[in-house]
Amino acid sequence: MIRRTLKTLLFLLAAIPLGGIGLAALIAGWVLVATLAITPLAVPALVAFRVAIGGVARLDATLANRLLGTSVQPVATSPGPSGFWNSGLNVLRDTAFWRQQVYVALRLSLGFGLAVAEWSLVAGSLGLISLPIWYRWTRYTQVVPGVYVRTLGHALLWVPVGLAGLALAVALTRPIASGWRFLARTLLGDMGTMSLRAHALAYGMLNVLLVVVWAATTRGYFWPEWTMIGLGLPLAVHASLVFGRRALTRHALIAAGAAVFFTLVWAVTSRGYFWPLWPMLGFALSLGTHAIFEVTRRGERISELETTRAGAVEQQETDLERIERDLHDGAQARLVALGMSLGMAEQKLASDPAAAQQLLAEARQGTREALEELRSLARGIHPPVLTDRGLEAAISAIADRTPLRVDVTVDVPRRPPRAVETAAYFVVVEALANAGKHAHAQHVTVDVRTEDGELVAEVVDDGAGGANAEGSGLRGLARRVEALDGTLAVTSPAGGPTTIRAMIPCAS
Amino acid sequence: MRVVIAEDLALLRDGLTRLLRDNGFDVVAAVTDGDALVTTVLLEKPDIAIVDVRLPPSFRDEGVRAALTLRERAPDTAVLIVSQYVEQAYAAELLADGRGGLGYLLKDRIMDVDDFVAAVRRVAEGGTALDPEVVAQLLSRRGPLDVLSPRELEVLGLMAEGRSNAAIASRLVLTVGAVEKHVANIFTKLRLPPSGEDHRRVLAVLAYLRA
Repeated sequence: MIRRTLKTLLFLLAAIPLGGIGLAALIAGWVLVATLAITPLAVPALVAFRVAIGGVARLDATLANRLLGTSVQPVATSPGPSGFWNSGLNVLRDTAFWRQQVYVALRLSLGFGLAVAEWSLVAGSLGLISLPIWYRWTRYTQVVPGVYVRTLGHALLWVPVGLAGLALAVALTRPIASGWRFLARTLLGDMGTMSLRAHALAYGMLNVLLVVVWAATTRGYFWPEWTMIGLGLPLAVHASLVFGRRALTRHALIAAGAAVFFTLVWAVTSRGYFWPLWPMLGFALSLGTHAIFEVTRRGERISELETTRAGAVEQQETDLERIERDLHDGAQARLVALGMSLGMAEQKLASDPAAAQQLLAEARQGTREALEELRSLARGIHPPVLTDRGLEAAISAIADRTPLRVDVTVDVPRRPPRAVETAAYFVVVEALANAGKHAHAQHVTVDVRTEDGELVAEVVDDGAGGANAEGSGLRGLARRVEALDGTLAVTSPAGGPTTIRAMIPCAS
Repeated sequence: MRVVIAEDLALLRDGLTRLLRDNGFDVVAAVTDGDALVTTVLLEKPDIAIVDVRLPPSFRDEGVRAALTLRERAPDTAVLIVSQYVEQAYAAELLADGRGGLGYLLKDRIMDVDDFVAAVRRVAEGGTALDPEVVAQLLSRRGPLDVLSPRELEVLGLMAEGRSNAAIASRLVLTVGAVEKHVANIFTKLRLPPSGEDHRRVLAVLAYLRA
């Protein structure tokens, strides 16, 4: 109990140095990024900023784990698409980054306030409790304005107040600690992604609160505009990432709405100096940034689409060629041989019935082989069971046909779009074939699941490794997956194990 | 023996009808889709319905669905599914009710006319006929079957196809007694309850393998 209280008090006290460091990182980071925003240097600045915020978050998480008893693991930016511009975008897209910033900001503002309040209460209470000891050394001890303690009796009267204050301070540490645990968990920990709705709600609630405070106190100068602008920028970036194409229109609408709102506030309050000019400029600035961002993103998207489309078309061509060759060398040739056998049987039917029967038996055998070949060819184009019964049945069937030991887990609650399903299926088929043929694996695990709206297909084998991601099979798969905006990752160090993971967005 | 056929491709429908008539079956109707099959079977009450998996209108698994309906609504009619491809998933669904009078074969098997005709008779009489490819898929699973000897595995495979002890004996060139001993061993090793009827024991083994 005492230990816990002391730990919480210590945690609050740490807000003073840590909050300072965090705020410095926050301000320095954004100033740097904003200053460099018109140059490519903004990207490394952003990445460095991400690292700094991550460091502060880790430090704070360790402190919270030690002193508040949470078990929070701050998350790092998950690797997204690679490339220079993408490394910057990955940071902006990373909700953990935004959440950690909110935490850092709260650590100084709210955390500092709480620290001052708690520690003042503790110090004041201790002062009152010890009043009978030290009152005589000061001439006139003023406890509250206008109340002086001159005698031991007076001093003793204040002791219970001090005790009550101390009890209150101790009692307050519990809700503070549990509230802060919640903050640390939601903002530092890995809780998936913060939805835009929650972000917008938090933004709205905070600003309404500030407007109420403003209305109840100062009026006059509309200072809440600064939190609106300051916190509005990250919200705008978040929204632009979520909404995609239509975001710019929405942003413009929000900006226009805000301009009208500020003008109204101005009209009903101060009039005179037209201060809404400044928030309007702020919104114009963020809108402009957004527009530039959008234009670059569209450019990147177009070149990405051009590449993947070319890849998909070429892959289709390759696949059709392969099918044509298989038909030509396989089933077609067998049917020709079959026709010849039948023709010869017809010739010999009268003269040599025994030979004719032999030829007919051969013809039947040839038919069987042609059918088998056609069946495996058809399955390679599109397995019927995939359409009829979905991924689990199709993957189990292919796993049963493989001579390897295969453990299959498929956890896909809703059926993904057909193209996604087919691509994931062929990733598994190719990976299993490679594991058996090239890697000489014994045991393979196949794990297919949906994760954050993406279908993830992962195949791990215990074979020799050294798979060539540029080989025709894997290259073809990568093209197929990329055409669906997915990624195919192959890790195959010499000596194994080989992991092939496809991640394909499910939204149709 | 009265037969109803459901097959949408005229070439195969006519061929199958001719083949069955030549072998002494009475093909009372040949329909082209699943709904027509169910109606016809309820009306004609044939001994067996021979059904293609892929039928109009969606060309997916109408045949399997129609077969499942028939299992429920016309329990006295046996069902033999024939298809260009076999899938264990369908086999599992068809076998789920644990009753005999069921077959699932590749269309390739029709070429071995004598074997195919025997399978139709066997199914119509309440037995089973599972395609060797389905059986092979089931038996390829490692784990539960590791306890069996290669010979026992062979016997189990033929058993799962629906063959009688006598047929297994002649196929493997063994005496019926030797086959019976293998079968008893399989049941003991897999800890399955012994059962007399041919199709019962097949279904017991299949249920065991699917689990």
